[in-house]
This record gives sequence, structure tokens and C-alpha cells, in this order.
Amino acid sequence: MLSPQTPITKPVKLSVRDMDFRYGEKKVLDGLSMDIQAERVTAIIGPSGCGKSTFLKCFNRIHEVSSAVKVTGDIKIDGVDIYRGGIDEVDLRRRVGMVFQKPNPFPKSIYENVAFGPRLFGVKDRTTLDGLVESALRKAALWEEVKDRLKESATGMSGGQQQRLCIARALAVNPEVLLMDEPCSALDPIATAKIEELIFELKENLTIVIVTHNMQQAARVSDYTAFFWLGKLIEMDLTERIFTTPRERMTEDYLTGRFG
Amino acid sequence: MPHAPDTLLDLPSSTTQTVPEGPALEAASREPAFRHSRAQRLADRWAHLVFLACGLLVVALIGGILYFLAARGVGAFIPLAGNTDKVLTLREVFLSTNWDPNAGKFGILPFIAGSLTVTGLALLIAAPTGILASIFIAKIAPNWMKTLMRQVMDLLVGIPSVVYGIFGLMVVLPWVSGKWLSDSPAAGFAVSAAILAVMIVPTIVSLATDAFESLPLSLDEGSQALGSTRWQAIWHVLIPAARARLLTATVLGLGRAIGEAMAIQMVIGNNPQWIALMRQSTDQTPVLRLLFTPAATLTTELVQELPNTAAGSTWNNVLFAMGLLLYLMTMLIILATRRLSQRREA
Amino acid sequence: MPAPLPFRPRRFARLTDQVMRVGLWGLAAAFIAVLLVFVGVILKQGWPVLHLGFLTRMPETLDAGGGIKPEIFNSLYLVALSLAIALPIGLGAGIYMAEYAGQGRALRFLRLCIETLAATPSIVLALFGMIVFVQMMGWSFSIRSGAVTLALLNIPVITRVTEVSLLGVPRELMEASYGLGATKLQTILKVALPYAATGILTGLVLTAGRAFGESAILVFTAGTNTSQVFPDFRLTVPGETLSVHLWYVTSDGTLPDAREIAAGTAAVMIVVLLALNLLVRFLDRAIRRRTR
Ligand SMILES: Nc1ncnc2c1ncn2[C@@H]1O[C@H](COP(=O)(O)OP(=O)(O)OP(=O)(O)O)[C@@H](O)[C@H]1O
Ligand SMILES: [Mg+2]
Repeated sequence: MLSPQTPITKPVKLSVRDMDFRYGEKKVLDGLSMDIQAERVTAIIGPSGCGKSTFLKCFNRIHEVSSAVKVTGDIKIDGVDIYRGGIDEVDLRRRVGMVFQKPNPFPKSIYENVAFGPRLFGVKDRTTLDGLVESALRKAALWEEVKDRLKESATGMSGGQQQRLCIARALAVNPEVLLMDEPCSALDPIATAKIEELIFELKENLTIVIVTHNMQQAARVSDYTAFFWLGKLIEMDLTERIFTTPRERMTEDYLTGRFG
Repeated sequence: MPHAPDTLLDLPSSTTQTVPEGPALEAASREPAFRHSRAQRLADRWAHLVFLACGLLVVALIGGILYFLAARGVGAFIPLAGNTDKVLTLREVFLSTNWDPNAGKFGILPFIAGSLTVTGLALLIAAPTGILASIFIAKIAPNWMKTLMRQVMDLLVGIPSVVYGIFGLMVVLPWVSGKWLSDSPAAGFAVSAAILAVMIVPTIVSLATDAFESLPLSLDEGSQALGSTRWQAIWHVLIPAARARLLTATVLGLGRAIGEAMAIQMVIGNNPQWIALMRQSTDQTPVLRLLFTPAATLTTELVQELPNTAAGSTWNNVLFAMGLLLYLMTMLIILATRRLSQRREA
Repeated sequence: MPAPLPFRPRRFARLTDQVMRVGLWGLAAAFIAVLLVFVGVILKQGWPVLHLGFLTRMPETLDAGGGIKPEIFNSLYLVALSLAIALPIGLGAGIYMAEYAGQGRALRFLRLCIETLAATPSIVLALFGMIVFVQMMGWSFSIRSGAVTLALLNIPVITRVTEVSLLGVPRELMEASYGLGATKLQTILKVALPYAATGILTGLVLTAGRAFGESAILVFTAGTNTSQVFPDFRLTVPGETLSVHLWYVTSDGTLPDAREIAAGTAAVMIVVLLALNLLVRFLDRAIRRRTR
């Protein structure tokens, strides 16, 4: 797949202004500002430990599940502040789905994994559920492989299948944004190609933010790329430009492997 | 150079791979101070056997308990040398509710039923509260509260049976009978089960907490990332994922409950004829009658009557048969937890 | 765009979440309250009885005013003896399981036996002790019958603690010892056991607490009487412990002040156990300090 054409500017879906992020006392993100456009794929790249995952988790506040964190500055979705704008984090997470680095299917059947989200929101009718499960699995390009074994345990699937199941699970609640944290790092090239193809199709009506350590992948799938270093945003631009004519010396060094 | 035998090198077999060759070897043999003495080598070999013997002693104990209890217990059903009394049929013992040793009636069904009732009631209290408390400890409590709850559980297990018993006898029984039963005695299953529940809850809590804490955080995150509340994640994902281990915790709690003797003996009322008594009395609802009729269990009856019976008598033998039954239940419970953990691994 | 989900208002789920959170805090508070009330009431009931005379007088059989001096002695003596019997066996079995048994069927079977012994009700151990030591060996109700049977209660706990503590010894440490040419026995005795010692000691204190509180076993092996000599170190005399005394005076009913004596005895036992608990915490902290 070639890198995408220079896209037409879309409305801003997520906007971040002057954000600081701390785990307890430890500052991990420092004065970040950026806009993420709707129905585009934005890639986040940068060396290990620079705060990419942390940044991603700010959009659905999932770090609050396990750690004590402190966020200052503004993060808005469709212009509404997600920390102070009266949005409840449970609602937010329904609208902002997430796919984790390691596939994390529930120890339930394939069907139950995908139906889990809709059930949470009160869908009980069997035919509606069946429909939602099938369409989510189709969108995740998994339907053909699993349609005859929906009742089997999800933990028995291959890593690539599990990751696509997790994507289907996230899609089944019809999110507006999909956050992907190194979704292919545990997968082989074939499974990776499948997921990249998927990302390409999904951006039709989803805003996607993807963290990746794989530069080719960022170049292949994303419209915009942001380069992080030590908790700071160094540069963000059209992916094509970042990879051909970066403005910052540091970005160029990182991309060419002359980092140090 | 030919491989030198161990004896020549004076080194244990486990280190022969690292034996230096050639000139180094000669150097080593000129340095007697660095060699293991014959005694050390012998000790190393014998130690293995000594430790093994300790392990085997435990195995022998398991078999020994079974053998000796069975040897006495079967005396109730088979004429053995030294038996002084008549023998009974299995039916007369295990399927009869008539316990009247002086009249030659040895039906132990009331005790079996009593043990099952008090254990069941205790589990009914202890399993849900214990599992909920473990959810609290593993998923909700801040660190200081986790530590505090662990402390509380440690202290609760540490309190001796008889202290639980005396608390029941001096505090709970008078309180219940004064407050709830207008001064009729409160001895029976209700108070016994309540006390038993407090005694077994730490077992359930500690195993269930381990179960929840060993689940990967990614399950919790996966569920909440879909927009579930924390409780929905616990209820729909974490509890099902931990189910086998929660069941194991409950079964081990059951094991502790069924074997407990002294605490219950002090508050249950020790009435072998409790089934008959319950049937006769009509002054209260059946549930209240079940909860507050003085009763007896396998363990309480052993504590109550063993000192009063002569070795070799039928009465005495039946009591040992009851002990054997308790032991077999223990084995069954342990095997059940084994099966559960195998299922978990599969 | 696919059709939007028929989302129901989420009020119920959110309410449940709040209710459960508050409810679980309440449950935890209830557990703490149960413990505090329990310990508080036992100490309060025992307090009026707890004077020096109570601790230093011999017990009475018919009259009021008896003490618990020999029972305190018997409790400590029996705990010490039973630990002395159980320690070498438990250590040996634990060492075997951690260092020699490998991972195969032998280990699984041994572990099954240890678990079974640990789960065996003490009343069943009491029956076994009564048959074998009291009757067959002819030791009758005595300190020695009690100590040996009580050891059966301790063995599985000590074994398990030893095994776990030894498995916690860093493998590099042991490999370093082997690397210096030490034998396996030397490595275990000189490297692994010292490292695991604090853990094993913690387990020993816990075991001592359990043995101290045990009553069912001792009623049927050490008996409900005590020697009139003090202190009586003979192994052949009956040795009623505190917990047995507590049970016996309440169930026997011949003493006019049985209630007071039971309350006082219970308070003494609680105080001892609280002290043991503090000791365990202290040891635990020592372990954590080292592994950090
Ligand atoms: N729960 C946490 N508590 C405290 N510090 C954390 C926590 N999670 C991450 N950190 C720290 O925050 C910093 C950023 O971590 P983050 O996981 O966001 O990096 P990353 O860019 O995703 O790295 P990688 O490429 O290795 O995934 C790191 O220094 C990390 O140690
Ligand atoms: Mg990361």
C-alpha cells in the first residue's frame, strides 16, 4: 500500500492544549498541544518510554483504572473537555475505543467477547445481538474465519485472530475514536498486513490514533505522524512530510536511526 | 586424558563437569585443603535419604490415620477380637435417625445432617461475604486499607476455637435469646453457623483475594475500555474468569467448617435427638425451629461422648466410624480442589 | 454510518457501581467491627479476673478462686515440645520438596499428602492420637501423647513454609555456591536455609500460635487434669493447657466461678496471640526489608 494522498483537512476531533501528565509525582508528558482530525489516521512515534502509551490513554482515561494520575491542561473531544466538561469517563470510553498492545480477549466464547459491549448497554434481543456481532466481526475481517466456531473459547485463537477479535469487540459499541497501542507488535507479518488493511478501511468513519515502533507501518497507514521525545511533542505533520522533509533535526535523526 | 572417577577426585558428582583438566587437575590434587572429606560426601548422599524419609513419614501418616480409624470404625459392623458388644448393619448406622446408645440404637444420620446443615449455613454467610471482601481488597481498597484488612483476617484466623466458643456462649447466646427469642435458649444451628462463618471467612478471603490479584490487569482494562463500569467489569469479567479458584476457596472453607469441633460444641446445644424434637415442637415457624433447636454434629458428638465410652464397645466403635467419615470427607474435599485446579490449568 | 446502538440510559449500571462501592466499604468496616467487638468484649470480660493471683495460683476443682498457673506452663511446654518434634520432620520434608523432588509425580503426590494432612480436622488427629499413643503405646493422657499428636498438626504447616521459603531463595545465590564446589547439602545448609530462615521463623511463630490455641487434640491426648507439682517437666503426667482448661471448666460445670475463670483464661489467650501477631509482623517486615 502506498502512503495516502495529501488529505483534505477534516474537522478537529480531539484537541490537546498545554497538557501535563503525572504518575504521582513523576511528570511523564510535558506541555503537549496538538489537534487530531476526524476520519484520519494519526500515528505516534518515538523512542521507548517517551510517553506514547500514556498520551493515548489520556483520551479514554483508562489509566485511572490502575494508577493515581494527575492531568492538567485541556483535552477536548468535539470541543468538550473530557476531564472537566461533565463527561463521565464511562461514557467517554464507549465513544473512545481502545486496542491494547497485547491482545486481551476475555476468557469467554468468541461470540460473548463481541457481544459484551452491546450487552453492557442494554441490548438483549438475540437477533439484534447476532447482527451486531456479525457486522463487528466482518469489519474486523474475522467473520469468515470464525463464523462456524462462535461458541468456542476466544483464548484458543491465534495471536493475530485474538487481536482482530479485540478490534471487533471495540467496534461493536460503535465508537467514534479508536486508540491502538502497538496493535501489531505481537503479530507476524501476515496478521500485521491484515490489520493494516483494516485500519485503512476503518478510517472511513472513525478517527484512529495509533502508536507504533514500526516506521514503515506508520508511513503505510497514517495520514499524520507525531514524533514524541521525552514526554514532549517534537513535531507533527502530514506523514509524507515527516518522512521526507522533517523540519526538526531530531526527527530526521530518529527516522534515519542516527539517534543517540 | 581418561575420565577420572569421582572417588579419586573426591568431588561430588554434581561438580564433575567443572573439574579442571590437565595441569590444573594436578594442582587441584596437590591442594587437599580444598577437597571434600569422605564424611562430607557421605553426608551429602545420606541427606537425600533423610529428607526423603521425612516426606515419606507424612505419606505414612496419611495412610496410618486411615488405617487406625478404619480398624476401630469397622468394629461396629464386623465382629473383631476384643469386641464386647453386638455388631450393626450399615443401614442401622448410616440411614437411621435413632440415636439411643443405651438402647442399642446407633443411627448417626442426625449428626451427618447436623454437620451438613451447620456447614451449609456457615458457607451461606461466609462464601458471599468472603468473596465480596476479597473483591474489595483486590480491586477497590486503597493500599492502607488492604493492609488493614489482611491484618484483620490474620487475627480472625489466629483466634482459637475455644475462644470463639466462649464468646458464643457468654455473649451471643444470651444476646440472641434475650433480644430475639424472648428468653428461650438460643442454642442451635443459627448461632453455631454464625460463629463458624467468622471462623472460616479468613480462609475464603485469602484464597479469593489471591484469585483476583492473579488475574491480569488487561482484563479489567479491556472491559472498562469498552465503557463498562468498574462493577460491571468485576461482575461480568473478573468473577467468571476467577470462578474455578473462587470455588476452590469455598470448598476449602467448607473443609474447615465441617471439621470444626470445639467452638460449635459449646453453642449448639448437643442434642442428638434434634430431628425428633424439631418435628414435635409446633410453637414456631419451621425455619425458626431449624435454626434454634439444640442440635448436634459429627464433631460435637465426638467431643461430647468419646470420653464416656469404653474402648471396644459398639458405642465407641461407632464414634470412630464417625471420625473415619470425617476423614474421608476431608480427602474428598482435597481431591475436589485438585480437580478444580486441573480444570483451571486446562 | 451503521445504525446507532439502541443505547439504554446507563443510570442503573452507574447506580449499581456506586452502591457496590459503598456497600463493599461497609462490608470491610463490618469485618473490622466484628474483630474489634470480639477482642474488646473478651478482654473486657476477662479484665476483672486478671490479677496476679489468677496467673500464679493453682486451679481449684470444687471451690472458687482457682488460678491457671500450671495451665500456662503446660501450654508453653506442649507448644515447645510439639514444635521440637515437628520442626526436624517439617524442615526435612520441606527441603525434600523444594530441592530434591523435582517437578514430577512424586512432588505432586507429596503435596497432595501435605494438603490432606493440613486439612484433616483436629478432632480426627485427636482420635488417631488417642488410639495410637494413649491406648496402643500405653502412654495414657499425658504430656507426651499430647506433644506427639500436636506435632501432627504442625508438620504440614512447617513443611509448606519451608518449601515456599526455600523456593524463594534466588537461584543465582545457590549456583554461586555450587560454582565454588560446594555439595548440595552444604549449599542447602549454608546458603539456602540461612537465607530462608526468617520466612521459616515467621511460619514457626504462626504454627506456635495455632498449637497454642488448639484444644480438640489435647482434650483426648493430654487430658483435662494437671499435675499438682509445679513446674512438672515429666512427660508422663497429664497436662491440661489453657485452651483445654477454658473448655473444660465451662462444660464441666462443677466450679462456682467457671464463668470468671473461662473469661480470664480467654483474655490471657487473646493477649498472647496478639503478642505473637506483633512478632509475625515484625519478622515479616524484616523479610521485606531484605528482599527490597
Ligand atoms: N503506571 C505507571 N506508573 C508510574 N509510571 C509509569 C506508569 N506507566 C508508565 N510510566 C512511566 O511513564 C513513562 C512513559 O511511559 P509510556 O508507557 O507512556 O511509554 P511509551 O512511549 O509507551 O513506551 P513504549 O514504547 O516502551 O511502550 C515511562 O517513563 C514509564 O516508566
Ligand atoms: Mg507503550
